[in-house]
Amino acid sequence: MRIRGLVSLAIAAILVSACVRVAGHDQPTETNGAEPATKWTPPRTPDGQPDIQGIWTNYTNTPFEVFDEKDQPGLYSGDPDGTGRGTGPGFINDSFERKLSKGRSLVVDPPSGRVPIMPWAEEKRNYRLGHIQDDWVNFTAWERCITRGVPGGIFPTGYGSGYQILQGPGYVSIVYEMIHEARIIPLDGRRHVGSGVRLWNGDSRGRWEGNTLVVDITNYNDKGNVATNAATQRVRSIPQSEDLHVVERFTRVDENTINYEVVVEDPKVFTAPWKVAMSLNREPKYELFEYACHEGNHAVPNTLSAGRAKDKAAARAGTQ
Amino acid sequence: MNWLKGASIAVVSAGLALGISQMMRQPVEGQVPDVKLSRTADGKPDLNGIWQAMGTAHWDLLDHHARSGPVLELGAIAAVPAGLSVVEGNQIPYQPWAAAKKKENYENWLSRDPEVKCYLPGIPRATYMPYPFQILQTHNNDILMAYEYASASRVIKMGKTEPPPVDTWMGQSTGRWDGETLVVDTIGFNDQTWFDRAGNFHSEALHVIERFTHKSPDVLDYEVTIEDPKVFTRSWKIQMPLYRRQDQNAQLLEFKCVEFVEELMYGHLRKKTGDEKPFAGARMRWP
Repeated sequence: MRIRGLVSLAIAAILVSACVRVAGHDQPTETNGAEPATKWTPPRTPDGQPDIQGIWTNYTNTPFEVFDEKDQPGLYSGDPDGTGRGTGPGFINDSFERKLSKGRSLVVDPPSGRVPIMPWAEEKRNYRLGHIQDDWVNFTAWERCITRGVPGGIFPTGYGSGYQILQGPGYVSIVYEMIHEARIIPLDGRRHVGSGVRLWNGDSRGRWEGNTLVVDITNYNDKGNVATNAATQRVRSIPQSEDLHVVERFTRVDENTINYEVVVEDPKVFTAPWKVAMSLNREPKYELFEYACHEGNHAVPNTLSAGRAKDKAAARAGTQ
Repeated sequence: MNWLKGASIAVVSAGLALGISQMMRQPVEGQVPDVKLSRTADGKPDLNGIWQAMGTAHWDLLDHHARSGPVLELGAIAAVPAGLSVVEGNQIPYQPWAAAKKKENYENWLSRDPEVKCYLPGIPRATYMPYPFQILQTHNNDILMAYEYASASRVIKMGKTEPPPVDTWMGQSTGRWDGETLVVDTIGFNDQTWFDRAGNFHSEALHVIERFTHKSPDVLDYEVTIEDPKVFTRSWKIQMPLYRRQDQNAQLLEFKCVEFVEELMYGHLRKKTGDEKPFAGARMRWP
């Protein structure tokens, strides 16, 4: 049985002063990680955690970044019309009716709504995107079916943007529909693994600050990507370095909404930290299907095969 | 969960039942474990933790003696350890055509075993691969089993479920409690997964019934009934213990093995730069 927690509304009222700093965001009120000003208090799990369990989705019409006319959507995603919109309701018709909000951008800080990417990282992205026919390492980690990454795995994409959150004593787990990722976050205050252990998705450590789950992630490898999906446009395929440090904040603000915020810091890749904010929307009837990505990965071998066919044709043309 | 288990044991050994009576509800008569086991807040056996099989069932479910590994250069490192059968009666009751296919699978292990390509392992193979897995038990709700191998996972839905709409590698698992035992019924498989590295296989008609029962706080009895009328003449059973990982700060790490098989699967399609290091010609002993 669920026990209603007694959460101090006084604290919520104090913290709410941080609200509404950035306009044009995907959710009606921007909370910047603060407690909501509503009277709604989340139920509690038996071990006292605010209960954020359930099935959540985050399809949206909000674009990832604010569009700049220098942007090259065709280069970033192969889709010239790709920018200026979010994911839409999901391009696989699953018969759910979703009321999608359209805000200015999911990137809420810096206020420009633009991720402060260093030039070398953009050049590396351009090289990779332009050379996917040469080598699988030029694909994003998603196309290789390794991972969509953290936080990349929760950046909304056109399909498979379903997440199941489960909580057991001392743990929160987030099951990502896309590439069957089950992230297990310990809450017992243990230290991060040693610096010799590098991970595609980093090492997650969680704690509750009031009703907010704060997850600190370090120990990344330098092989993954900060974002992998087309809707992230200019940020897609930007590399992550071993210095990547991510802090996520999950706050359930009502029965059907989790405010999700993430601050991404990587001094080797970005000139400043940046922040994404969005809502996760409860969809109890949404089903997470198995996404056996690698098992059915024809994109990588077919793309490489096309590249070798081009090489052969070029060689033939050269000898004629 | 270690704090809860530790606290429970300490309290019980001191002869105090104060404050934890809900967690320590009496087990069902006739199935009384010899040690008091920790319970979840709703009185169910507490399976939370990181578990791993020992033994060599991942090599071969049946009796097998030690033998050399397939790659000469790896010497003793990749040799196959001996092991005793985890199958009741040491026999898998294949139909004649299927027995022939199993033999063929064994003889063509490297080209056929889905594990070589880092494919999803299916059930029950995921449980006894040589990697840990974690059980996360929510209250009155779903149970997550997350496997280190290939980031495979499954969410076991408790209670009634709709028939699976599509076939999958990991199947669709439905759970229920039978006294002290978690019973997981899984259907909706495809025919692509194996049971071990010895070529034991099934069809898409596979039906797996697993039973997880505490034998002691740190050991689970794992019993599996396998049914597949397209491949076997009758149902058959696997049984083995699963052990709690006792390592301090045990946690699942990543074994995202796709990266380790890309050269094997796509290497012939990579654009040559001239900087490639040639692979030493590994000598294969078998298959």
